[in-house]
Amino acid sequence: MADGSIPAQWEPKIVAFVCNWCTYVGADVAGTSRIQYAPNVRLIRLPCTGRIDPLFILKAFEQGADGVLVSGCHPGDCHYVSGNLLARRRFTIFRRLMEFLGVDLRRLQFSWVSATEGRKWAEVVNAVTEEVRAIGPAPSWGEKGEPWRALEPPTGEEAEPLAAPAEAQTQARRSLARRLLEQGEVGIVVGYEANRRGEVTPALITQPGEAERLLFDGRCRHNLSVYLTKELVRKQGKVGLVAKGCDVRSVVGLVQENQIRREDVVLLGMVCRGVYANGRLEARCHSCTVRTPHLYDHLIGEATSASALAEDPRDTEIARLEALSPQERWAYWQAQFARCIRCYACRAVCPLCYCEPCIAEKTRPQWIPPSAHGKGNLAWNIVRAMHLAGRCVGCDACARACPVGIRLDLINRKVALEIEREWGYRPGFDAEAPPPLTTFRPEDKEDFIR
Amino acid sequence: MMRKALDEEGLGQWLEALLRGPRRVVAPVREGDLVLFRPITSREEILWDEGKSTLPLKEWLFPPTEPVLHYRFWGNEVEVEDPPLEAPETVVLFARPCDAAALGILDAVFASDYEDAFYLTRRRAMTVVGLSCSRPQPECFCAAVGLSPTATQGSDILLTPLDGRYLVEVLTEKGKRLVEENAALFQEAEGLDKERATAAALAQMGEVEPLGEVSRRLSERFESEMWEVVARKCVGCGVCAFLCPTCHCFDIVDEANAFGGCRCKNWDACAFALFTLHASGHNPRPTQAHRYRQRVMHKFAYFPENFGPTMCVGCGRCLVHCPVGMDIYEIVRILAGGGAA
Amino acid sequence: MKGGNIYRPYLMKVAEIRDETPDVRTLRLEFQDPQVASSFDWLPGQFGEYSVFGAGECVFTIANSPTRKGYIECSFKLMGKVTSALREVEVGGTVGFRGPYGNRFPLELMEGRNLYFVGGGIGMAALRGLLQFTLDQRDRFGEIFILNAARTVADIVYKQEMEEWAKVEGVTVVKTVDPGGETPDWDGKVGLAPNVFEELAPRPDGNIVITCGPPIMIRFMLQALDRLGFRPEQVVTTLENKMKCGLGKCGRCNIGRYYVCKDGPVFTAAQLAQLPNDF
Repeated sequence: MADGSIPAQWEPKIVAFVCNWCTYVGADVAGTSRIQYAPNVRLIRLPCTGRIDPLFILKAFEQGADGVLVSGCHPGDCHYVSGNLLARRRFTIFRRLMEFLGVDLRRLQFSWVSATEGRKWAEVVNAVTEEVRAIGPAPSWGEKGEPWRALEPPTGEEAEPLAAPAEAQTQARRSLARRLLEQGEVGIVVGYEANRRGEVTPALITQPGEAERLLFDGRCRHNLSVYLTKELVRKQGKVGLVAKGCDVRSVVGLVQENQIRREDVVLLGMVCRGVYANGRLEARCHSCTVRTPHLYDHLIGEATSASALAEDPRDTEIARLEALSPQERWAYWQAQFARCIRCYACRAVCPLCYCEPCIAEKTRPQWIPPSAHGKGNLAWNIVRAMHLAGRCVGCDACARACPVGIRLDLINRKVALEIEREWGYRPGFDAEAPPPLTTFRPEDKEDFIR
Repeated sequence: MMRKALDEEGLGQWLEALLRGPRRVVAPVREGDLVLFRPITSREEILWDEGKSTLPLKEWLFPPTEPVLHYRFWGNEVEVEDPPLEAPETVVLFARPCDAAALGILDAVFASDYEDAFYLTRRRAMTVVGLSCSRPQPECFCAAVGLSPTATQGSDILLTPLDGRYLVEVLTEKGKRLVEENAALFQEAEGLDKERATAAALAQMGEVEPLGEVSRRLSERFESEMWEVVARKCVGCGVCAFLCPTCHCFDIVDEANAFGGCRCKNWDACAFALFTLHASGHNPRPTQAHRYRQRVMHKFAYFPENFGPTMCVGCGRCLVHCPVGMDIYEIVRILAGGGAA
Repeated sequence: MKGGNIYRPYLMKVAEIRDETPDVRTLRLEFQDPQVASSFDWLPGQFGEYSVFGAGECVFTIANSPTRKGYIECSFKLMGKVTSALREVEVGGTVGFRGPYGNRFPLELMEGRNLYFVGGGIGMAALRGLLQFTLDQRDRFGEIFILNAARTVADIVYKQEMEEWAKVEGVTVVKTVDPGGETPDWDGKVGLAPNVFEELAPRPDGNIVITCGPPIMIRFMLQALDRLGFRPEQVVTTLENKMKCGLGKCGRCNIGRYYVCKDGPVFTAAQLAQLPNDF
């Protein structure tokens, strides 16, 4: 209730996603054993917890569930060998994301219940029902929330002066691009240029003479690796990509996921001292460890040694959000997503959002409501964050592109931090490494699973 | 057309009167780091002289999503009803001439042949008080598309700042009603030379060539390879269409569960890859070059051929917010002749 | 709603379901509102937005002639979300219909002329309304020739009806399947529609060809007709394009300055030649 009170006669509605081989049978055993337990759970049976997409859980909340329980086989007992072990990783991250968005985690619970554990099933259901009963009905999913309120911008930032491009560097880059085009080593060079208003914009050049337009300085914020999966660019042949260290991480991701071959791109690595917006150093540059790109075919600029690490402003803002109560955080994010207009700029500029069709475009079934209302926006933004989990390199192109200023950078950064904390994985460095959500270790933590 | 004047104090009093009056008052306000048209209850909320709102006025007439039908299922039967349509009398304060002119374009679309009551009811209840621009922004090019920083199209009343006062041009019956309700606040407009304000603002707009009659030249260049060269950069998001005051493409989708649901009208964009995808799998616009060409042709050729005005008001929001800086003004210049590639 | 809600459909009852092929179904729909049922009228060639509440809207030509009133029909192929949902609706179920929209077949061009109908697969559905009209008003038109083409025997639509058409005086019906699509007991022709048509060598003589089918069939038909001496003004087609509102507003179906839902879907080949290559 709006005033925090719990309506009389209200019964929690719990949706349980259970695996067919263990928990479902366990629930059946509870029944045949005539064990009495709370009737508040509606079961949805799936072959395996590994099949449970966060979308299902979101749909349950969207349609009015007060709590969701996910239950499957104990590790080692999975009918499909490792489905539950993959699920364990997925849910670890999903839980942290939901908590960050302000969902009370007592509404989202997990358990291992085997086929013989009828009694345990009854206990789990009773426990979950009572915990949800104690906290009351779930807040309206996808309502407008309070009027949008900005986080105060980080204070105490001295802007380093915009690095003036060294003339030698500029000439080196232009002549390299010219040569690559002239000699047919690449069919197209993707770099940066200035537009008629003096702002920096991507440059896609196919003629050697056009190389004169290329520039590189602290205004080059775009992640150009997004063009590596665009058909109109690929059809020109090999791509010469002007890439900062952060952009190179996306390239590694694309190679890792077999979207491009390493040999199809010639990396013009740029030594970068940071990029700026409105006189401030961009957040991601504060903690950058790849000022000299870790992968390149040609390097432009004097290689620098490891840069001094500074506190990432995004982490400060995340900490500030985490210091709020779950209700306040929920209100904050509801208001953020309420202004989403579903322009999909976030998706269009992300080098790793290359799926055709995107999950949002799937109509049978229509998992993500296409309308730009609260429920649809919530589903879209959460699903995108989960689909990028373990893959997003934090270039913040999405947050920059968002015309209504949704803090997508904070969501993706939070998920990335959790993944690094749990499994020590940072995307974009090792093209051979298995992405963290496609693998598991037997000793992965499961302290949140009953 | 009536000409009146207001000094600063008079304007303040008029605003107070409007706020006290029966109509909802909507004005540009700051929300976080955005400027948006929002209902206000006090003068202090109004954001003065900060260029354009992020989302255009069309948000108030044609929202990003809106149900056009509600329905409930009863076995084999379906109960259908029109959704409630709230259209309180509204005064929009300080729309820029570009945004106001866009309303005329949207009116043509939503009123032709079949009248869209959702748009038109709100439009009829809306009185637009425009505010001329004295400081065009770097992205502005309204002068290239037949408008100007002081254009009157679309406004019911247009205020133009001049010598510490405001010229008040009362352009329609709706505008006249608004002024007459507070007639005492308005002064006579002698000595106010609007031409001077226009020239001063235009002088600041920088190099903006009138695009003129590009429709024919663009049609002749329909098959040109240049489309691919200029459109290669486009990443296919919907920002330009969604933030454009004149873009009006929409989708109609059903959202329902076992008990009922609604049919919704949602903003859509020709930039999206699936926009014209047939059920058979055939897509007449298979590449981003085809799709970007459609955007330009619709705005600068098809709409003028059908309705007259260019379907672009030169506000420049698309330039500013495009994640990759597509510049439609430059692109039209390149394709309609003149301008370097 | 004051001014009327242009997005609000009529409520229809499914009166009859006929499966023409494994994936093509014809629905006969009756207006639930008796006033609308008695007053609803349309012209051959017009289309409507048929919808399943909860799934969405879909565009089909009104598949019967206005000379056969009291109901409207649609024939559709199972393709995606809405057509799947349409197949779930049983007799007695409720379906939505908005229309009639679009222009019409140019009957004035056809008066007194011989008419050649060439339909490819589900394209035949777009011609059926006009075809029934010409059969019902038989003495207004000359000889009628119908070529019903499909990929395979199973895909031929209106199999039973074709036999009714052939019974009418002055009507010739030819059916053909693509090479490889015939069955051992097939008694029709084997060959692509444009080739079969060209072999039958009809005389242009101011006669009118009305054709509808997949884009590739239309392309080759236009070439064949050109070789046979038909002028583009004598060739009429009805275009499919992705449509949504049907009202000329949502911006989706345009080809150049024309909206297929408003200025079409019926176009002559001469008009098509003027359109930019955007369909």
